[in-house]
Amino acid sequence: MPFESKIEAGHTIVSIDETRLDASLSEPVRAYLFDQIDNGSDNLIIDLSQVRFMDSSGLGALVAALKKMGGTGSMKLAGAQPAVTDLFSLTSMDKLFAILPTVTEAIEEK
Amino acid sequence: MDILIVEDARDQRMILSVALKKQGHRVFEASDGYEALNVLESHPGIRIVISDWMMPNMDGMELCEAIRKSHIEYYVYFMLLTGISDREAMVEGINRGADDFINKPLDFDELGARLNAGIRIIELKAALEHKIQTIEKDLESAAETQARLLSEPAKIQNVDFNWYFKPSRILGGDMFGYQALDGETLGFYQLDVAGHGIPSALFSFSLNNTLREDGGGSLLKESFSEPPFYRVKEPDEVLMSLNEQFQAKPESMLYFTIAYGLINSRTGSVTFSQAGHPPSLWLKSGSKSVEKITCSGVPVGMMPAMTYENITIQLQPGDRLFLYSDGVTECANNIGEMFGEQRLVSSLENTFDHTIEAMISRVEQDIINWTGADVFEDDVTYLVLEWQP
Repeated sequence: MPFESKIEAGHTIVSIDETRLDASLSEPVRAYLFDQIDNGSDNLIIDLSQVRFMDSSGLGALVAALKKMGGTGSMKLAGAQPAVTDLFSLTSMDKLFAILPTVTEAIEEK
Repeated sequence: MDILIVEDARDQRMILSVALKKQGHRVFEASDGYEALNVLESHPGIRIVISDWMMPNMDGMELCEAIRKSHIEYYVYFMLLTGISDREAMVEGINRGADDFINKPLDFDELGARLNAGIRIIELKAALEHKIQTIEKDLESAAETQARLLSEPAKIQNVDFNWYFKPSRILGGDMFGYQALDGETLGFYQLDVAGHGIPSALFSFSLNNTLREDGGGSLLKESFSEPPFYRVKEPDEVLMSLNEQFQAKPESMLYFTIAYGLINSRTGSVTFSQAGHPPSLWLKSGSKSVEKITCSGVPVGMMPAMTYENITIQLQPGDRLFLYSDGVTECANNIGEMFGEQRLVSSLENTFDHTIEAMISRVEQDIINWTGADVFEDDVTYLVLEWQP
């Protein structure tokens, strides 16, 4: 499994351990995040620090999880690298997610 | 079933041939591997080969390898006759491409049963191939439908429109269009549905329809009962309406990025709005420079109640706008490095003295030179317009 999760200070931290979050990985990521949500995680932090490239399918998987939470709970993105940050700014993802430089800052952010 | 028997001992060959004919098969014969290849070449109906292992010239194993390496497009089920019952020889034979083994001396009941197993596999494969062919035919006709939906290059009221469109695998999720909304206002867009293949293409078809102005109550115009009876909606309003109408389901996440603009064909004023789409490029004919039109927005369908921003620019005669999907800049070369916005801008900087057609092929050529192939991983689309009052 290219993802793992741990619980820290009331947050479920999901790490994507792949360099490309694209069409080939987006469906497994989506299914994994949905499982976390179905199992009661309502404070998600996605650690993207390993991801060097993300395409529209990958972005879709993250937003799918946010949509599934449907306004209850929170989902934050952490550790995005430059290419991913560019995609976030092009698509105004800061309007949907709290985007933090590191997981630690994501945990501290209220 | 058409079966080829390959056996150097004439009497053995005859016994086997008679037995198989009795079971209703059509039988062909060869006395070594070379002859067998010739028979296969001239009788493409043969799907099963029963071959002796030890033969002069070309033995059974060499024949099997020759068939596996050949240009024969259908699968040939290969059964090897052997007196050797040792395990290692059998493992070697399977590794080199044989499907089954029959021990000599022959037991005809066993032979019949093993042949039936082979026939089952051949029939499954044929059924599968038939289904794949049907799907491919459907995909091709869907691709033709898509090609018919694309607007023809056209000059509409002082504005020239042209484009390049290449879907990644037969069908794409990219779409574009342009049309007159009244005597001096033209609308144009380029969009990219996330993902590619059938779901994205179907969605792009339906968006093409939605974004077509056909007089009635449309997404692009608001009508009134008093003169002037209508108002052309601003681009940000159009994107907001699209966003309310096409919210993606979390399970499928069919969303899209889009650049939508209005151009006044008399004055050259352009109002523009973008939702998660790569910044469109403004090619200024006077200064021969390329400027990015940056206005960001959340892609359409991700979240309800999003707002978008309008940007207005004033074109000069001969100025062009270049709208493109991320398939252009995300084209990767053989070491995975992307074409990128900077190379696209450089490519366009060399096209100021080109006609629109020449400019379109120049960019295509630069992308192909970069990727080293003319098959792309994502849809590659760009729409160009030129204002020439």
